[in-house]
Amino acid sequence: MFDKILIANRGEIALRVLRACKELGIPTVAVHSTADEDAMHVRLADESVCIGPPPAKDSYLNIPALLAACEITGADAVHPGYGFLSENARFAEILAEHNVHFIGPRPEHIRLMGDKIAAKRAVARLGIPIVPGSDGGVGSDEEARILARDIGFPLMLKAAAGGGGRGMRVIRDESEMAAALAMARVEAQAAFGDDTLYLEKYLERPRHIEIQLLGDGNGRAIHLGERDCSLQRRHQKVWEEGPSPALNAATRDEIGETVARAMREIKYLGVGTVEFLYQDGKFHFIEMNTRIQVEHPVTEMITDIDLILEQIRVAAGSELALTQNNVKFHGHAIECRINAENAVSFRPSPGKIIHYHPPGGLGVRVDSAVYHGYAIPPFYDSLVGKLIVHGKTRSECLMRLKRALDEFVVDGIETTLPLFRALAREKDIIDGDYHIHWLEEFLARGGLEQ
Amino acid sequence: MARKPARPPLPKTPAIDHEVIRELAKLLDETGLTEIEFERDGVSIRVARYSGAPTARLRPVEAPLAMTPTAVPPAAPIDPTRHPGLVASPMVGTAYLGAAPGARPFVEVGSQVKVGETLIIIEAMKTMNQIPAPRSGTVIQILIEDGQPVEYGEPLMIIE
Repeated sequence: MFDKILIANRGEIALRVLRACKELGIPTVAVHSTADEDAMHVRLADESVCIGPPPAKDSYLNIPALLAACEITGADAVHPGYGFLSENARFAEILAEHNVHFIGPRPEHIRLMGDKIAAKRAVARLGIPIVPGSDGGVGSDEEARILARDIGFPLMLKAAAGGGGRGMRVIRDESEMAAALAMARVEAQAAFGDDTLYLEKYLERPRHIEIQLLGDGNGRAIHLGERDCSLQRRHQKVWEEGPSPALNAATRDEIGETVARAMREIKYLGVGTVEFLYQDGKFHFIEMNTRIQVEHPVTEMITDIDLILEQIRVAAGSELALTQNNVKFHGHAIECRINAENAVSFRPSPGKIIHYHPPGGLGVRVDSAVYHGYAIPPFYDSLVGKLIVHGKTRSECLMRLKRALDEFVVDGIETTLPLFRALAREKDIIDGDYHIHWLEEFLARGGLEQ
Repeated sequence: MARKPARPPLPKTPAIDHEVIRELAKLLDETGLTEIEFERDGVSIRVARYSGAPTARLRPVEAPLAMTPTAVPPAAPIDPTRHPGLVASPMVGTAYLGAAPGARPFVEVGSQVKVGETLIIIEAMKTMNQIPAPRSGTVIQILIEDGQPVEYGEPLMIIE
C-alpha cells in the first residue's frame, strides 16, 4: 500500500479522496493554490504545500510544481481526482519516471480513450455497440456528404480531441454541411489544438446512461451498474440517478457484462465509466472516461462499495477482491449538483457563504467542501456541493430528496437549489420520463419561473 | 572618521500614574472609543486602541518629544510576511543558500544586493533554479535554512 498520497485536486473531490485515505490510514498531502489556503481538505490533510497562484495553469495544472511537491513531501502516489490532470497521459508517465504512482489507468488506456475516434474503433472491436458514423476523421466535405446520405440526417459533428460535451454541433441537412465543417474545424483547432472531426448519427431523444467499471489491471474487471445522467444543461450533468428508470435487470446485466468483458480483455486498471446514448432499446457508445467521475456517489449509495477506496487498492497492486456476484444493487439514489449560480440565469455567483446548513438524516449524503464562512473563489468551477439521497425505492428517494432540498441552507451566494426543488416536483421527473434535451426544453419554456 | 552628532537630551518622562492609565484603558473598553487623551498637572496621557489591545503613552505637555514616534507600535511582533521588502518563493522545491548544498551562501544578513542578483537556489527534480533579487537593497533577514523545503509563496528573506 502507498506510504503517502498527494491529492492533486481541490474542492469536494479533494476532500472525498482525503476521506478515503484517512480510512485506509494513509498519510495525505494537500496541494493548493493561494486561493485555496482555507480549503477544508487543506486543513484536514497531514501536510499541505502551496503550489502556485490561483490560475489553474500555474497551480493545479502545473506539473513541475506537483512533482516538486511530491519530492519535498516524499509522496509516493498521486490521486488526480477528476478534471485537471486526471486524464493527462503525459502526467501519468512523468510521475512514473519519477517513481511516483499515478492512481488511475495506464497511460496507454488514458491516451486511447482520450482520442474519441480511436476509442470508438477500439470499443467497436471489443464488441461494444457504437453510434453509426464516420470511420475515423472526416477528410473532405465530399466524404462527409456521402456519409450523410448513408447514415441519414440529422448528424452530430464532433471534435476527435474534444469530449465532456465540448466541441459538438448538429447538422440537420446537407445545406448546413459545408459551413458547419469549416467552423467546427476552426473551433476544434483553437480549443483542443487538433481540428480532426468525426460524424455520428444524431439521436433525437436519447437518454445518457453510463456504466461504472473497476479493473485491477490483471484481467479482472467488474461493472457496478449504471447511472442515468440525462438531465443536462449545455452538456453538463445536473442531476444523476441510479438505477436508470429506463433499464431493467436483464438489460443492465447484458450491457454491464459487455463492457466488463471488454475491460478484462484490455486489462484495464482502475475505475472508468463507459458512456452511452440509449434510444429505442439500443445502446450507442459515445465515450469512455478513464477517471473517477463527479457522480460516483450514486453508484456508491446503491452498491455500498467505496469506489475511491477500491481505486486506491487496485492502484497499489491489489487484486480485485470483488467479483461480479459481490455487486448487489439496493434501492435508488439521486444526486443533485449544486452550483454557485443563479438558478434562472445560471450566472456564476462566487462569494462568501454566510449561512450554511446542509441537510441530514437517514439516507442523506452531502459531498461538499464548503463550510460556514467559506468564500467560493472565482477561479475554478462553481460547484458548491453534491446532495446525494438514497431510498429503498425511487418514490421514497424522491420524497427524501424533496425533504433534504427544503432543509438545505446556503446564504450569501446564489445557488441552483431552487432548480432542484422545482425538478423534484415535476411530473416527468417523478415519472422518470425524460431524455438529454428535457432539461433545456424545461428551462426554455420557463419551467423554473412557474 | 567624524563622530556622529550627539542626540539632543530627552525630556524627563513624568512619573507614571498607574491608576489613571488603568482607568482610561477600562473606559476605552467600556465605551468602545479608540482613543482618549487626558491632561492634568502639565502631564498629558493618551490611551489608544490599535488592533484590539489599548496602549498608553505619557508625555509632558510643554516640551514636544523629539525622538518619540507619532504612532504607538502595535502590541503584536512585526509579521515578516507583511514586510514590503519580503521576497517570497516563486516555486516549490528545496532551498539552498549556496551554489551547492553546504557551499558558501550567496548572500548573508547585511549583504547589499542589486536587482537580478542570485539570492538562493531552489532545487526541484534535480534542476537548480536561481532565484533573483526582485529589487536592490540590503538583506536584513533570512527566513529559511539551508536545505529547507519551500512552497510557493514561502517567505525567503527581507530586502530593504
